[in-house]
Amino acid sequence: MPHHLDLYVKRESPLQGLDPRAKMLAAGGFVAAVLVAPMRPPWSLVALAVLLMGTGTLARVPARLLSRRLFALTVVIGMPFLLSRLGGEATRAAGEQFAARSLLVAATFLVLMATTRAIVLLEVAERLPLVSTFGQMGEFILRGADLLAEEVMRTNRAWRLRAPRATMKVRLTGLTQASMSLITRAAARSERVGAAMVLRGFQGRLPMAAPARLPWPHLLAGLLFALISLGLAGMGRWL
Amino acid sequence: MVTKTSSQDALSRAREFSLAGLMGALGLLLPIGFHALGWGGSVFLPMHLPVVVAGFLVGPAAAATLGVVVPILSSVLTGMPPLAPPIAPLMAVELAAKAAVASLLYRSLRLPLWAALAAAIVADWVVLALAAWLAAGFFAIEAGPLQYLAVVVVVSLPGTILQLLAVPLTVRAVERRVPRLRPTPPEGRD
Repeated sequence: MPHHLDLYVKRESPLQGLDPRAKMLAAGGFVAAVLVAPMRPPWSLVALAVLLMGTGTLARVPARLLSRRLFALTVVIGMPFLLSRLGGEATRAAGEQFAARSLLVAATFLVLMATTRAIVLLEVAERLPLVSTFGQMGEFILRGADLLAEEVMRTNRAWRLRAPRATMKVRLTGLTQASMSLITRAAARSERVGAAMVLRGFQGRLPMAAPARLPWPHLLAGLLFALISLGLAGMGRWL
Repeated sequence: MVTKTSSQDALSRAREFSLAGLMGALGLLLPIGFHALGWGGSVFLPMHLPVVVAGFLVGPAAAATLGVVVPILSSVLTGMPPLAPPIAPLMAVELAAKAAVASLLYRSLRLPLWAALAAAIVADWVVLALAAWLAAGFFAIEAGPLQYLAVVVVVSLPGTILQLLAVPLTVRAVERRVPRLRPTPPEGRD
């Protein structure tokens, strides 16, 4: 079942079919490459951007999704970049570096999330030794977000039907009351969810099926992508 | 007896996880609502509200875990706060510290709610200054941690006031609705 906050786009492509563990390996290598690639000359970062665009195209990630999400980051990334233009040579270089690396890292996660269901990535994280609890908590949050998003949408519909011309003051009062009610009901609901979890075998963690083996071709593909990315980053230092 | 205790532990942990998960979900949705209304996240700190409320309702470990997961998950799913520049990792550290301190002082040491909240906010600032100092060294940023902290504290003043007003009200309302979530008084004291 798709989740409300999930960015996953259902498409037939080699990237969508790739094992999520291989995709995480590839994304990790790519982010590391973006962080270590030199800024001057900028060829490494340009090559990495081209590689990422190619991957996004191969995965048939809608350009509209990418551009909309990256546009939302404009304030966070664009403002410091523009301010850096007012400074000296070192400040301008730092601003360029900040903007280029931030955009590439954000785009990497967008491509990853558009080609993999969030819940699947969290299940992978749950099996990893150091981040297991974080993965488990993330799954709870994602499922909780679905419940609450449904509730918010129902409240919104009711508001539009019952008070289409309400003043801002009335709306804000209603919003405060609805938020408070949402939190207290969420707390009461957690009692029932907790009991249901124990009935399903929760003993500190929910029982999980043994993970399937990561197929060799998938592992090789992920590894190869990570190595190519790191190679491109190294190329800039070399040239 | 052992089985009963372990099943009670499991139930207690399951309740903590589900409550923390729902609060974490609010931590993802509230910032979206604030952004939709055009109210800046760095001014009103909407992500902090449910995480701090959770700090008063669950144990320190679950609270700290929630504090780490919410900003990272939000960053991956909604793009905000960004992972690079490292705002999401900084928020993960500060929210984990804030929620854990709130939980430790209120639930374990049974300090009054307002005192635990004030201490959690101060702990947040201390941890943020330390994390900013480490990040500045790592990313070769020239601004000092105290300059960064001063800007953050001033900009987020409306958010801090909102927390001081909303968190006690919310925690009391939840405790009235689910009395089990009140911290139990220490043995020998009624």
